Amino acid sequence: MTGLLIAGGRVVDPVMALDAVRDVRIRNGVVAEIGEHLEPLEGETVLNVAGAVVAPGFVDMHVHLREPGFPQKETIATGTEAAVRGGFSSVACMPNTNPALDAPATLQWLAQSVQRFGRCRVYPIGAITVGRKGRESCDFAALAEAGAMGFSDDGDTVADAGVLAGAALRARGVAGVFISHCEPEDRIVARDLVIAAESGKPWHLAHLSTREALELVRQVRAGGTDVTCEATPHHLTFTVADALEIGSAARVNPPLRSEADVAALREAVRDGTIDALASDHAPHTEAEKLDAANPAPGFTGLEIAVGAYAGALPDLPMMRFVELLSTNPARILGIDAGTLRPGAPGDVTIFAQRSWIVDPSTFASKGKSTPFAGRRLPCKVLATIVGGDLRYCEPELAG
Amino acid sequence: MRIRRSLIDLDDLTAEEIAQVFEQTAAFEQTAPGRRLAGKTCVNLFFEESTRTFTSFNMAELRLGADVVNLAPRNLSFTSKGETLGDTAITLGAMGVSVLVVRHPEAGFPQRLALGFDGHVVNAGDGVHAHPTQALLDIYTLIEEFGDLKGRAIAIVGDVLHSRVAHSAIRGLSRLGTTVVLVGPEGFLPSTYAGESVRVERDFDAVLPNVDAVILLRIQRERFAAMPISDEEYVAGYRLDRRRLGLLRNDAIVMHPGPYNRGMELDDSVLDFAGWRYARQVHHGVAIRMAVLDLLVNARSL
Repeated sequence: MTGLLIAGGRVVDPVMALDAVRDVRIRNGVVAEIGEHLEPLEGETVLNVAGAVVAPGFVDMHVHLREPGFPQKETIATGTEAAVRGGFSSVACMPNTNPALDAPATLQWLAQSVQRFGRCRVYPIGAITVGRKGRESCDFAALAEAGAMGFSDDGDTVADAGVLAGAALRARGVAGVFISHCEPEDRIVARDLVIAAESGKPWHLAHLSTREALELVRQVRAGGTDVTCEATPHHLTFTVADALEIGSAARVNPPLRSEADVAALREAVRDGTIDALASDHAPHTEAEKLDAANPAPGFTGLEIAVGAYAGALPDLPMMRFVELLSTNPARILGIDAGTLRPGAPGDVTIFAQRSWIVDPSTFASKGKSTPFAGRRLPCKVLATIVGGDLRYCEPELAG
Repeated sequence: MRIRRSLIDLDDLTAEEIAQVFEQTAAFEQTAPGRRLAGKTCVNLFFEESTRTFTSFNMAELRLGADVVNLAPRNLSFTSKGETLGDTAITLGAMGVSVLVVRHPEAGFPQRLALGFDGHVVNAGDGVHAHPTQALLDIYTLIEEFGDLKGRAIAIVGDVLHSRVAHSAIRGLSRLGTTVVLVGPEGFLPSTYAGESVRVERDFDAVLPNVDAVILLRIQRERFAAMPISDEEYVAGYRLDRRRLGLLRNDAIVMHPGPYNRGMELDDSVLDFAGWRYARQVHHGVAIRMAVLDLLVNARSL
């Protein structure tokens, strides 16, 4: 494999506490060195990225790749292409597939499909209960062995607190965070925080959206519970009033909230309550989104996420931005990513302050519906590198 | 666990494999194929009514020397006795079934079946999702007519939203560098369908002089509750009739995946039109399906 020299960019790496103009050399799929004015080696491709930010590859810890079972909504090929176009070198995919990601054989199928069609790294989230039915715990050790990096019943909250507590105790010896999709949000956040505290299992709360839930997280954390949480681009941007105006393209679970909730969520990102930004990429077919009687909840998110976060959080320090998109989600999932320290995987996201207008017809995702359609976003991904391989590159950078 | 190759949508095939299928199709149409599937059992599992696709899969399997079993849904215990889809897949695999050809009203069903099945699954149409063998035979018919499709423009007209034929054809044609012009009313064709090589147009008359071929679609009334526009409005805006045929270029052709509804998407003048290629499409259907079965079962490289 020939090397890559990413020259002249502003390298931002929270792990190294580095924010300076540097060159990054990638060889054999890993970061070889970081320095000033590095000379290109023979055969090395040089990317001149002056004016752009060079960050450790972004990690989206909450996406729905829809396979197996729903290839009409998204496939491994289209979902991971959307990821690299959106700046993500790694994604964690949720288990609400058909069959659910509740058995090693299904995870093996997924791994083979990723090997054949994948454009970025894919870390599966296994189910907590068999068939995501909320009754019987999965075999967590076997799922972890087959590649599961966390566990969640996503969309379907485990309704029986006893089942969830039992599962958490059983999974204590297995690596992999538990991830809760909390609906109704405040009540289930409270319940799951109690189970997290009692079981000692690392716990992550998906797509928080209310002031009350954020306040609960602050309180429990002060008591020492290992809990992390995420925010989505849409909950950071839109209110329920916007949702009414936009229509079915804004239908999502949890729903869009009040102006005060949006303000509280932005504040929670700034004050450190929110650990990670995650898109909840949830593509559907156009026929499902346009079904007037019952439009499908959720929408495509990978290709607007980075621009939307920047738009919602214009005053966020760059170091914090990279931490929320790369270092923290990598740490929560326990994956080898989130830094450009020499020896780390050669996963890099290059982006710049550049205004653009969201045009869903350019999306790689099969999902075209998004409340951000037609909106102007202030930040654009210019290139995504996975293991030293340039998987996505804006024409201006290539030329 | 080794996962056998299935054909769920065109994306499962590389460009080289598609070329291979077309080459083999031509060979099968010219010479006797030999019993390349001898000793293999193919099961056709059709949960939706079908004439063309069902018959042509049967003929393709028989011509290749396969043993053929046709299962009607009422004979399946998982629809009545509580057996799961996964159990059925395991059962059929354990019997030594090599190929399952599946049509189902639910998108994604063939992929779910493929996951538990130790054999090859061919999607013969699943809900609004995909119909890869139809797309292959449509593209083959176009190539027979025009040669290289790069730079050509193909219009697909009508109920795109609910058409698995259209969804597979769009993916296939875009990969070949063909411009796809989608034509229809908003309710059948939201503008979000536009893409890199895909245009959305509302004015059928304006499109006709500028395309090499027109693929008409049936309105899939079984897949939605209410027509987005009245039948009269649809006919006025989108039915291909004698006047509209006159707007086409001299060498343009017209295709339809069938079954076609006279009076709705076309009138009788289309059936007499020199460029009407429906019979060619149906004709190629058998050899295309033979080539797909041969590729999945016999290709060593896959």
